This record gives sequence, structure tokens and C-alpha cells, in this order.
Amino acid sequence: MDRRTFVKSTLLGSSSLFLKVDTTVEADVPTPQAPAVEVRGRNLAKPSPLGMPGLYPGRVVQVSSPNAIVANRVSQPVVARMIERGMKELTGESSLRAAWSKFIEPSDVVGIKINPSGAPACCSSPEIIREIVNGLEAAGVPRKNIIVWDRYAYEIDIGSYQSLLPPGIQIIGIEDGVGDVSGYDLSVFCDVNFFGEWETRSYMANVAANTVTKIINIPTTKDHSASGVTGCLKNLGYGAFNNVARSHRAPISFTNPLIGLMCSAEPLRSKSVLHIMDGMRLVWHGGPLTQVQDFIEQTGVLYIGTDPVAMDTVELDAIEAKRREKGAPSLWTHDSKTITMNSDEFFHDPVKNLFYRQPGHIAAAGKLGLGTSDPKQIVRRNIQVG
Amino acid sequence: MPAPQSIEWNTLLGDNARTGGQGVRTIQAPKQAKWQLRVGRSIRSAPVLRNDTLLVASVDGALHAIDVQLGRSRWQFQAAGKIHGTPALAADLILFGCDDGKMYAVYGDSGKKAWECVTGAEVWTSPSIRNGTAYFGSADENFYALDAATGSVRWKRALGGRIYSTAYVSEKNIYVGCGDGKIYSLDLQSGNVAWSIATGNGVDSSPAVDGNTVLIGSEDFFVYALDADTGAIRWKYETGLGILSSPSVHEGLAVIGSKDGFLYALEVNSGKVRWKAQAGEVVTAPPVFATGIVCIQAAGLIAFDIATGKMIWRAGLGGSVQSAPVLTGSNIYLTGLDGEVYALQ
Repeated sequence: MDRRTFVKSTLLGSSSLFLKVDTTVEADVPTPQAPAVEVRGRNLAKPSPLGMPGLYPGRVVQVSSPNAIVANRVSQPVVARMIERGMKELTGESSLRAAWSKFIEPSDVVGIKINPSGAPACCSSPEIIREIVNGLEAAGVPRKNIIVWDRYAYEIDIGSYQSLLPPGIQIIGIEDGVGDVSGYDLSVFCDVNFFGEWETRSYMANVAANTVTKIINIPTTKDHSASGVTGCLKNLGYGAFNNVARSHRAPISFTNPLIGLMCSAEPLRSKSVLHIMDGMRLVWHGGPLTQVQDFIEQTGVLYIGTDPVAMDTVELDAIEAKRREKGAPSLWTHDSKTITMNSDEFFHDPVKNLFYRQPGHIAAAGKLGLGTSDPKQIVRRNIQVG
Repeated sequence: MPAPQSIEWNTLLGDNARTGGQGVRTIQAPKQAKWQLRVGRSIRSAPVLRNDTLLVASVDGALHAIDVQLGRSRWQFQAAGKIHGTPALAADLILFGCDDGKMYAVYGDSGKKAWECVTGAEVWTSPSIRNGTAYFGSADENFYALDAATGSVRWKRALGGRIYSTAYVSEKNIYVGCGDGKIYSLDLQSGNVAWSIATGNGVDSSPAVDGNTVLIGSEDFFVYALDADTGAIRWKYETGLGILSSPSVHEGLAVIGSKDGFLYALEVNSGKVRWKAQAGEVVTAPPVFATGIVCIQAAGLIAFDIATGKMIWRAGLGGSVQSAPVLTGSNIYLTGLDGEVYALQ
């Protein structure tokens, strides 16, 4: 399918961008034109070279192991080997410490952005986070300067991350209920009115805007009913800003362009230096919240890189391939016959969806300079671990 | 107006025996809401009841005393941090843990602070009160015994991980799970470790004891039945996913939920499954017994037949992570993740 995305930007002051993105998709049901989005990011004197797309644009290291999941449990020792091999492959370093030190300094306060939505069936694996903590400690970061965070505190609770992660690190759930903006920086926001909503701003979380100096992103490999997939970009953008569900009102989704625009906002862009995608399980339908095991494959894969666009492009290919294998329609399908307003039908029928998905948000993010979406430009390195 | 009921529901699951109530009470399907009160943005703990006052801790750090006849606030106490733990009653005090690392005690009649005790990290566990001592674990990896009247520390014991498991306290020993994946038995007087056994992952679940058997779940997917004296594993039963729920026990039957969405009824002596029933997509709260039924909060409040596991009734409110209803016979009090408190009759 031909996807045409154009970015027009007008610089208004040093830190405020009004961006209007053409999200037109050729289909029987075209997506309405998205309204302009004002991106009010932090004014950085000089964006970090470590920021997206980071040190290794277009590079995706895929580490696989048939032993990564045993009896539905993620294997800690196998994951440790997978991360070590992947980090060395990505950086070309011979030691794990040197590999982590490419991104992290001992003085950093490091935020680990997890994805607990969909717990317990498919969420960022505590086993992976433990190994990341080990890597950060190897790079000299004390545990008190490591913060595991997500927006929804109750989802972190359901995932039992508090007890499953090492003592000494901080675990922060930003929101404790509807309308809780206490954890957000009101000076950093994206402002857009999609459907006439009463609150048109989405604010960046304090932990991302102010507390941490580096972010390591741990998305999962999942279909997403509104955005097509939830990977690096969606986990970061919609996990760092509040009030994002307003971008999709069935069956219309404006996740493209909002996801990419949020990821482009400073300081989120500069602080996000590494992405380790948890592909232990792959959700090919019903995401992001499904618990239906029929749509969850135990794939035992990790994707590691600094380019979120390249990584999400690879993820999109993997989920599309699985959907083809299962006889489900493409994520690009914009066919009114596939739309349902019945969530139960959506959760149990892979033909049905609540929205016209917008996987074009990945390429749109590439147009914003966040990475490489052209498969020909993406260098994939595949590693097998026993 | 009916007379206030004389009942105390002291702590998580009613009393320190974890039977799920002070004597199993007859409860019928709720017909209507007596009242509904929103007390905060979210509630993640269970309510407790003293006579006609329901005590509810909201995540935004407030302990609320609610007149159960009127559904109105009598007083509220504002702590300095979030509250995730269920309060417990100790004589005329109400004790609860807080994310600011403190255990607070406030007077039940006024809501004024009596004392506070500082630990090194958040306290999500509910204190277990026995003979004037409050026993609880903290995320600072220590287990504490406090004088419940004054808050002075009688002893503390370092364990191997964060503690989110509410302890069971018997005449001589304390049983508690730990984030290091172990289940510990501590001496009641000294806090010395009597025994510990390792499971395959962290233990948030809170133990129950039936006879000489300790029952508890683990994030390693298993329900464990342990010899209370030695920690020897009598049996273990594998569920489909990790266990954050805690067991309730009644007449030789232990009922516990799993993140796989099922409620399991296991015979304490053998570990044999009497029934399993789908209770939701994810079950993380502890169940509560009443006469002939067992109730659980998952996507709503659901009652299952104890004998068969068949669903008897369901009320579509009270979404929960760790909350459990208070059952008084004529009323059901429950809290929801959305900050609502309900009195059903």
C-alpha cells in the first residue's frame, strides 16, 4: 500500500512547533486530515547526539533463543546471555561494561520506560529489566539513580514489578487515577484538538522532562488497535505524555501523527538513548490489552538498537508476517467491514478492529528525523543464542 | 434507621486468621446500593470496619472514616505519602503503612495522629496485630515488630528483598513472603529466622495458616503448602501465571486467585483441586468467604458457590487490584480502583 506522508513545519519561536502532517491513506475509508499539533518542547541549547536516532541509525540487532521461554516463564540466564550478545553486537565492544558505557555515564539518572499495559499476558519482562539494571550498575550507575517508570501505577502493581525488581531502584507510576496531572510538567506539551475534546493538551511526565538524564525504552512487540503496532515510538510517546487516548475515537485514529510528534519533543528525544524491545512474546491481535492466549506467540526475541523507527519497522514486519500466517487482515487494512464497536468481538476475532489502524505513524516519525523506515536502509543483524 | 452493627473487621480478610471474616456470615446477592461515596482518585487497598465506621485508605494519602449508616465522612487523616496498604485496628488505634516509609497510628474516634514510625522505604503491607504488637514488612527489606500503643520498635529483622506480603502471626511464629522469592518463618519474640524456603520468583502473596499448614502463592505460578514448623513443602500446585492474590481458608479449603484469571479451590490436606473458576482476565485480589459462597473482586464483585465453583451472582462494580469486600451479613462494603466506596444491601 502506498503511504504518503508529508511533514510541513513552521518554526514559531525557538521551542514551539506547529506541525501539520498529511496522514492520508489510500483505502476505501480514508483517514481524515489530522489537525495541526503544537509541540511545545524544552528549548535545548544543543540536542544530544545520543538522542533518537542515536549512535546507530538504521541498525537493528535481533537476538533469538529457542530457550528464552520455558514453560511460559522467561529464562533469566538465557535473557542475560541475549542482552550481553546483543549489546556487544550493537556497539562493537568486547565487554558488557564498555557496551553500556557507550550510552550511560556513572553520573546519569537513568529512567527505564517499561510497558506494563497488557500485564500479565504480555508486558515488559522483569527478567529483562533485571539485566538492564545489572548493565547500568556495570557502567557505574548506583541503584538509587535508576528509575523504572510508566504512566499507570495500577498496571505496574498488576505486573508485580515492585517485588520482582532489585531492591534500591525506584519504581514510579505517574498516574493514580483519572485526571491526575500532578506528575506532569505543564510547560512541556503537545496541543491539538482532534475531536472537540475539552482538554487539548498532553503534558510530558516530570520523570522524563526533569528527573532523569537518560532513558532506556523497553517496549513490547504488540499489535495496537489504534496505532497498528505499539513498539518503541508508541511506548515512548504515549508513555511519556498524558491524555493520549483522545487521539483515537472509534473508528478514527490520529495516532499518526501524534506518536511521532511526541517522540520528537525535547527533552524526550535527546534523553532516549537506547531501545531494547521485549519480543519474548508477540501479540498479533487484540493489543495492547489482550489476555487471549490464542493471539500471543512465544517468540523468544529481543530487538536492540538506538533507532526507534527502524526497530518499529522490523516489529511491524514481524507482526504483519504473523497475521498473514494466521489469515488475519493486514494492519494497513482500512475496510469498513472490519470495524466493530463491540470490544468483545474485537478481542476474539482477528478480522475485527475498533479503529482504522495507523501503522503509518512509524514512517511519519522517520520523516521527523527520528530514524529510518525504509527497509532497504535498515541493517538487521540476527544472532542466535542457545 | 437500623441500629449500628456490632462487628469488627480488623484487617485484611477480616481477622488475623485469614478466614476471610470473623466467622463466616450469611450474605445474599446485593439488591441495591445503600450509598456510594468517592473518596479519592484511586483505592488499592481493602476497607476495614469497626462497628459503624468503615475505614478506607485512598492512594492519595488519606485515611477516611465513613459513617456506614449515612455514607458520610466522619473524619479524614492526611498522610504525607500515598497509601497502598489495608489499615488494621489495634485497640483504639488504626494503623496503616505509607509510601513515605512510615507506619502511622491514628485515634479511631478523632483521626488525630497518635504516633508514627519511620522505615527506610514504602510500606504497602497491612500490619498484623497480636498481643499489643504490630508486625509488618517494609520495602526497605526489613521486617518490623512495633509496640502498637507507642510505635516503638521492639525488633527488626533484615530479610533478602522488598516485602509486600502481609504477615500471618501465630502464637509463636510469623510467616511472610519476600521479594527475594523466599517464604520466611520468624520467631515472634526475637525476629530470628526459624526457617526459610525458596520459590522460583518474588512472593507478594500474603500467607494463611490452616492447622499446621502455611499456604501462600508465588510469582513462580505455584501455590505452596508448607509445614508450619519446618517449612517443608507438603504440596505445591501450579496455576497458569504468577500469583499476587492471597489465600483464604475455610473448613479445609484454600481459595486463591491467579493472574491467569482463575480462582482455585484447593484442599489444604492434599492440594487436590476441588474446582477452578474463571473470575476475570486477571485476579490479583484475595477472596473472602461467606456462608456457602466465596467472593472475589476482579473486574467486579463476584460470588462463587464454595462447593462447586459455580458463579452465583456478580455485581459490576469494584474493580480491584488488591481490595477485598467487607461482608457483614446484611451489607457488603467494597472499594474500587476508581476511588469509589460502595455499601450494598
